Amino acid sequence: MSADRRASWLKGVLDLLVLASLTEGENYGYEIAKSLAESGLGQIKGGTLYPVLNRLEEAGLVAAEFRVTERGPGRRYYRLTEQGRSTLAEQGDLWVAFDRSVRSVLAKGGIQ
Amino acid sequence: MSTYFDELAVRLRERGVPEETVTATVADLTAYLAESGGDPEEEFGPAADFAQQLGAAPASESAAESSTWRWTADIFVDERHLNEFGDQGWEVDRVDATGRFVSHRDEDNPQRWEYRREVIARKGRKALVEELAPDGWEPCGTWFFYEYFKRPKAASLGPEAQLGAPPRAPGKGVFLSRRFFLLVGFAAVCLVASLMLMINVSGGGAGFVVGLLAGAAGGALVALGSLWFQARRRDRSG
Repeated sequence: MSADRRASWLKGVLDLLVLASLTEGENYGYEIAKSLAESGLGQIKGGTLYPVLNRLEEAGLVAAEFRVTERGPGRRYYRLTEQGRSTLAEQGDLWVAFDRSVRSVLAKGGIQ
Repeated sequence: MSTYFDELAVRLRERGVPEETVTATVADLTAYLAESGGDPEEEFGPAADFAQQLGAAPASESAAESSTWRWTADIFVDERHLNEFGDQGWEVDRVDATGRFVSHRDEDNPQRWEYRREVIARKGRKALVEELAPDGWEPCGTWFFYEYFKRPKAASLGPEAQLGAPPRAPGKGVFLSRRFFLLVGFAAVCLVASLMLMINVSGGGAGFVVGLLAGAAGGALVALGSLWFQARRRDRSG
């Protein structure tokens, strides 16, 4: 039940978290998942992350570039576009407002 | 592991993903798995499902899913038409540089939408968006001083918001009101009259009238030009 609930919360905000994780510079899939896990969001499977990255790329919010590496098979690097930055600012504000409302209601129920 | 990625590559090709993208995707996912460890199916899910989430849909499938329609209306009737077409399942995604509403409709599962237009006041767009968000209004386009908002009718109507058989997209894409034509006609008359007076009258008491009309017409033209260039610039930066 608890895991399902967390997965459901994450589903609603993962695209914003990915955009936010790219504000400091470009990154690739595994490192994005790792940085989100280190932030306390739990392990995010590649099967969850990549469709989100794909949708963000199709929407023009991130740009991807594949680079061949000296060792290994090569990686696709993602960077935030200007459109992605403005979408993050706008949608991030809406999420924060939503979060405030949730906290307010929970506080009335004695949850701090 | 290679069997998984072989199958994924086949499935992606079936969905029309270009060969170069298939190769890069498989290489990237292989590198991901090399770092994360574990089983590919456990990490990414069944290859067929994962390909469906990653790859472009086959042409016939994507055409059936939704259709895009661009249209415009003047500010005297835009809100009325937005709600009229929203009731036919059209969801506005944005307003483009030429002032057209870029909208789409899910042909398999059309839903009703409602719209409202607000003036962006001194407090700014961000404050306006935050003010309306608690009621479920989401911004869907900006046109100069106006911000357009949309809200799915499912929020108020529930299952009744779903459309059974929506009508076909209207044949035309421009909806202008009589008031708009009257305004344009008035501006044109002012422009012509001022030009004629400037040519035929020299000095005297008519100077004030000439100046007034020329100023009105010139001002209208400058305003229209300014609005156009602002829109172009905003579209390029977007």
